[in-house]
Amino acid sequence: MKAPIYIYYELDNYYQNHRRFVKSRNDKQLLYGLKYKDTSSCKPEESSNGLPIVPCGLIAWSLFNDSYAFVRDRGEMNVNRKNIAWKSDREHKFGKHVYPFNFQNGTLIGGGKLDPSIPLSDQEDLIVWMRTAALPTFRKLYGIIEEDIDADEIITVHLVNNYNTYSFGGKKKIVLTTSNWLGGKNGFLGMAYIAIGTSFVLISVLFALIHVKYPRPRGDPTYLSWNRKSNAS
Amino acid sequence: MISVLSTTPISPVSPITNVLPLSLVLLVSLVKEAFEDWKRFQNDTSINSTPIDVLQGQRWESIPWKKLQVGDLVRVKQDGFFPADLLFLASTNPDGVCYIETANLDGETNLKIRKALERTWDYLAPEKAAEFKGEIQCEQPNNSLYTFTGNLIMEKQTLPLSPNQLLLRGCSLRNTEYIVGAVIFTGHETKVMMNSMNVPSKRSTLERKLDKLILALFGCLFSMCLIGAIGSGVFINRKYYYLGFFGDVEPQFNPDNRFVVAILTMFTLITLYSTIIPISLYVSIEMIKFIQSTQFINKDLNMYHAESNTPALARTSNLNEELGQVEYIFSDKTGTLTRNLMEFFKCSIGGEIYGTGITEIERGRAERSGLKVDEGKSPTTAVHEKGFNFDDPRLMHGAWKNERDPEICKEFFRCLALCHTVLPEGDESPEKIMYQAASPDEAALVTAAKNLGFFFYRRTPTTVMIRESHVEKMGKIQEVAYEILNVLEFNSTRKRQSVVCRYPNGRLVLYCKGADTVIYERLGDGNHDMKRLTREHLEQFGSAGLRTLCLAYRELNTELYEKWNEKFIQAKSSLRDREKKLDEVAELIEKDLVLIGCTAIEDKLQEGVPACIETLSRAGIKIWVLTGDKIETAINIAYACNLINNDMKQFIISSETNAIREAEDRGDTVEIARVIRHSVKQDLNRCLEEAQQYLRTISGTKLALIIDGKCLMYALDPNLRANLLNLSLNCSSVVCCRVSPLQKAQVTSLVKKGARKITLSIGDGANDVSMIQAAHVGVGISGLEGMQAVMASDFAIAQFRFLTDLLLVHGRWSYLRLCKVITYFFYKNLTFTLTQFWFTFQTGFSGQRFYDDWFQSLYNVIFTALPVIIVGLFDKDVSASLSKKYPELYREGIRNMFFKWRVVAVWAFFSVYQSLIFYYFTTAASQAGHNSSGKIFGLWDVSTMAFTCVVVTVNLRLLMACNSVTRWHHLSIWGSILAWFVFIFIYSGIMTPYDRQENLFFVIYVLMSTFYFYLALLLIPVAALLGDFLYQGFQRWFYPYDYEIVQEIHKNDPEDSSRIELLEVANHLTPDEARSYAISQLPREKSKHTGFAFDSPGYESFFASQQGVFAPQKAWDVARRASMRSQQRKPRT
Repeated sequence: MKAPIYIYYELDNYYQNHRRFVKSRNDKQLLYGLKYKDTSSCKPEESSNGLPIVPCGLIAWSLFNDSYAFVRDRGEMNVNRKNIAWKSDREHKFGKHVYPFNFQNGTLIGGGKLDPSIPLSDQEDLIVWMRTAALPTFRKLYGIIEEDIDADEIITVHLVNNYNTYSFGGKKKIVLTTSNWLGGKNGFLGMAYIAIGTSFVLISVLFALIHVKYPRPRGDPTYLSWNRKSNAS
Repeated sequence: MISVLSTTPISPVSPITNVLPLSLVLLVSLVKEAFEDWKRFQNDTSINSTPIDVLQGQRWESIPWKKLQVGDLVRVKQDGFFPADLLFLASTNPDGVCYIETANLDGETNLKIRKALERTWDYLAPEKAAEFKGEIQCEQPNNSLYTFTGNLIMEKQTLPLSPNQLLLRGCSLRNTEYIVGAVIFTGHETKVMMNSMNVPSKRSTLERKLDKLILALFGCLFSMCLIGAIGSGVFINRKYYYLGFFGDVEPQFNPDNRFVVAILTMFTLITLYSTIIPISLYVSIEMIKFIQSTQFINKDLNMYHAESNTPALARTSNLNEELGQVEYIFSDKTGTLTRNLMEFFKCSIGGEIYGTGITEIERGRAERSGLKVDEGKSPTTAVHEKGFNFDDPRLMHGAWKNERDPEICKEFFRCLALCHTVLPEGDESPEKIMYQAASPDEAALVTAAKNLGFFFYRRTPTTVMIRESHVEKMGKIQEVAYEILNVLEFNSTRKRQSVVCRYPNGRLVLYCKGADTVIYERLGDGNHDMKRLTREHLEQFGSAGLRTLCLAYRELNTELYEKWNEKFIQAKSSLRDREKKLDEVAELIEKDLVLIGCTAIEDKLQEGVPACIETLSRAGIKIWVLTGDKIETAINIAYACNLINNDMKQFIISSETNAIREAEDRGDTVEIARVIRHSVKQDLNRCLEEAQQYLRTISGTKLALIIDGKCLMYALDPNLRANLLNLSLNCSSVVCCRVSPLQKAQVTSLVKKGARKITLSIGDGANDVSMIQAAHVGVGISGLEGMQAVMASDFAIAQFRFLTDLLLVHGRWSYLRLCKVITYFFYKNLTFTLTQFWFTFQTGFSGQRFYDDWFQSLYNVIFTALPVIIVGLFDKDVSASLSKKYPELYREGIRNMFFKWRVVAVWAFFSVYQSLIFYYFTTAASQAGHNSSGKIFGLWDVSTMAFTCVVVTVNLRLLMACNSVTRWHHLSIWGSILAWFVFIFIYSGIMTPYDRQENLFFVIYVLMSTFYFYLALLLIPVAALLGDFLYQGFQRWFYPYDYEIVQEIHKNDPEDSSRIELLEVANHLTPDEARSYAISQLPREKSKHTGFAFDSPGYESFFASQQGVFAPQKAWDVARRASMRSQQRKPRT
């Protein structure tokens, strides 16, 4: 595999698209930080110990916090954790001067913690996590390996299994893949194209067959219902 | 309700986006209603403020109609309308007589005489009238136009009142300078108003069916919500710790109480799925209909009557599509089918036919048998005036003297000139004289006599003055005074009229004219040849749709006459049974008559009526004639209109039978009712049996039912109603005669309610108002008579023949278009909502929305609204001329072929299919996919992609559904798709300052920066439309609709460009042959594996080479374009 190699973690049975989950965030707070007070949408992770939480809401609270290390013979591979979120999110949705505050200080810890000294716009794990997935089975970008991997090479993955998926019976997967100018591998779209293309061919054959087998002269007045009826009677 | 729900926290969408479209919808419909009400209001005020003279103190003062009160004395001037039901007190005419025209009530234009009580004759001048004191006792207001009983109590004298003293509202005063009357009933209590039923607000059947569809959609909505709610109750579980089920969980997501969760989720889902109910549908339909009626129907030049300068007028826009489904037409006769213009057309004198004209029915018959009708009339000799349309050089200008038997001709003309009760009016010259007659037939006959050289110009109580020319010598004119000794008046039992007159030279002659049956009974012996010939002529005239009268005379000797006259005077002065005695006396002298000949009068049909009726009946519409006329006249007209012909089996149910007449003579009302009911019942059963026999045995025999008002009254009885309906529905034409306005309405609603068929009533007079209101669609003829019918109608046209255009062209188009609009609306909302529904399954039934709020609310308002309206306006399957050429196409509307549940089910099936494609294709395509820099789509990216696909597909699907594609279609469809992109570019490009989730920020740019988006956008609409494409292909090939065949027949015809330019048709739907050819011409898609994705070089490259431009091409377009090319090639080679 040629670099860049993308590392994804995949979760299933995880309803990031649940309504309670989706709405439990506050985009304004993410952008303006503590200056923005109205965070009622973040319930139940709005405040803790009487102080507001930044970033608030269930999504941030349940931040995925497994970590992976890839080790090959020559040593640990360098995983780039930067530039994994969409640029628009980094630049426009997460404030450059907003620092995590009072985060994961409650009695219940949902997931990962954040370094209070790094602004949100650089917390790319969070940004990726907070772009909620459409389906209960989803992949999210973890990092990028910027080294080529040779065929038949054995890579050991050291993973720190922090994130709790046992309670709801979810599975975790790691996916390594590459990409070209079109994007990543997308088996479905390819299959669909073939299927539709084939069906067009079949349809054309079908129509041709129908033509031979059941010819209907164009504009044959005997097909008019009133003519048909009089023929029948 | 949904809007209210959306303001509560359980809603997944923000309230503003939900309220906005709804209020927009409400606003538009409010404005429309207000506009229509305003017009109605203006109309009412103009009628209500018509001035009328009322006695106040000792002067006449003009006040508006609406201030009129019971008991006022009013003065009505000549040609004025009576503002209320009046008791006739005095008139400027001698004998306290006035003439009224009742055209508005019963459609008859002949004048009726009303006579005031002798005691009240003097109250004419205001001073005198002011002294009038009296008390009127009368019956309660009722709807019977022809009865009235009451008493006038003046100075302790009780005077009985009869209908003769009653002047009904709606009639107008003629030939009388003015009259004075006392107001008896006003406003809604007048007999006319009592006859008019409550104005029902009409809704089209299609709309009613639409309500059912909406109801079904509601059912669908609730079942979807129920599924979702149950699912949510089952799903919710503490194990999903990341959903934060700790502390105070709001009830909607509290896993401890699953039942409450389900209930609340139910409401959430209702708001979420509320898009399944197309709120904007009603508004769109109203807009479409409004434009259809104002722009198309009102401005159709084919329905513009140049002579009277009246265009068609759609008074409501609610019923356009109803016009496309009419199965029964109830037509008034006078003024609608006929012009109420009697013209002397032909005659037979002494066994010889005169008159060269050809009636419309004869012409029609000839044309059907393939003969060319020679229209070579010599306009120089033909004298044509009102009531006279006769030309024969053998009779005109005195040429009759050279005929075989000039004496009998002379008798013929004298009979015409003498035997009548016509009053001459105006200047005593042939050009200017006006004849006032009780019936237009009489006037026509007298006019005929005038044109044939026997000019009747003056009547005194005892003499008739005739200016006879050409009698002795050419050019010589002599004035002859004939002394009229007796007049034996016409009535319906006698069916004849006689006068006894004495020539200046003392010759005594009785002239008689009447129905052939009664005259033939009374002819003397001899001259069988002529009788036979004349009878043949009578039959010939009759079948040509002419009204015939036989003329006869009898020479009397003085002795005989004197003897008879004594009896006559005796009878005339008798107090009891005067009428009956007079009839008996008349019998004595009206015998041994000598036949002169017969006349044939054409009851002039409106232009193009037989052709129109023929077309309409080919379109599967059954036409019933409901008329106040006599049974003979009605049958005659039915013949003339081609409704009845001699091949038909006629069932006549008439009260003019001997049994009934005998019963009537006995005078016991209960007995009469019993006898009539019994006979009607018998007749009905007999006819029904026969009818069933006919229908069973001989196919092709058409049946016709003729029934008169009196019988109808009993036949409409609840017990017999079913029989009547059964019988009449089996008949291809039905004629009801002597029916009252109310009966017209009853017959109409009998069919409307009993048979559940769409009915249309057409009429021109006030007597048709109730019928017009009772029918599904009321059409008024905006003609010469009053405007009442038009006021009550839904559509007004100038001529009966415009019905063809109104029904076959506009009605059919409206119906097709609206069916398409409704089914399409249904489809697009269902498809859209279903994608949402599939998403619910994968969100833990939480009611999370798939699309952004604004997508959801603007979907109906902007992204998909305009194209469907354009289709509703401009779609047409076949052109106007073809619609009229193939009237049978109309039957598809009668059978409601395009809005059956089956059709709806097909649409529903494909919307399920498409929504599945949308949802699963987009989610599956994006789940594992990432862009070239490895980034993954989130929820909103996927949903925006899905929404884009939905908008594109739904708009393209419309393109597939329409029959004609104009530039408006293109503009609106591509415009809508463009609007979506413009919207999303702007919407996702900005951050809003107020508090909301910025879910969509930058989404479209993210999407468009990845290649998947384009691949998916290309694939998904194609895949989604594949199903519809296949279905349409198979349907067209194996079960083509009639219109599709007609399209194919006339595919290569040049489009008639005389129509409005907007309606120009770019191309016809391509037939399958071409389509499958096109598909086979498509480059085979070969997929090349490039490692991570598939690339199909099919579409773009193909089109880039063909067109030189890139446009997102869909399979449909490919097929279309390819087939167009193949079609273009064909004619050339």
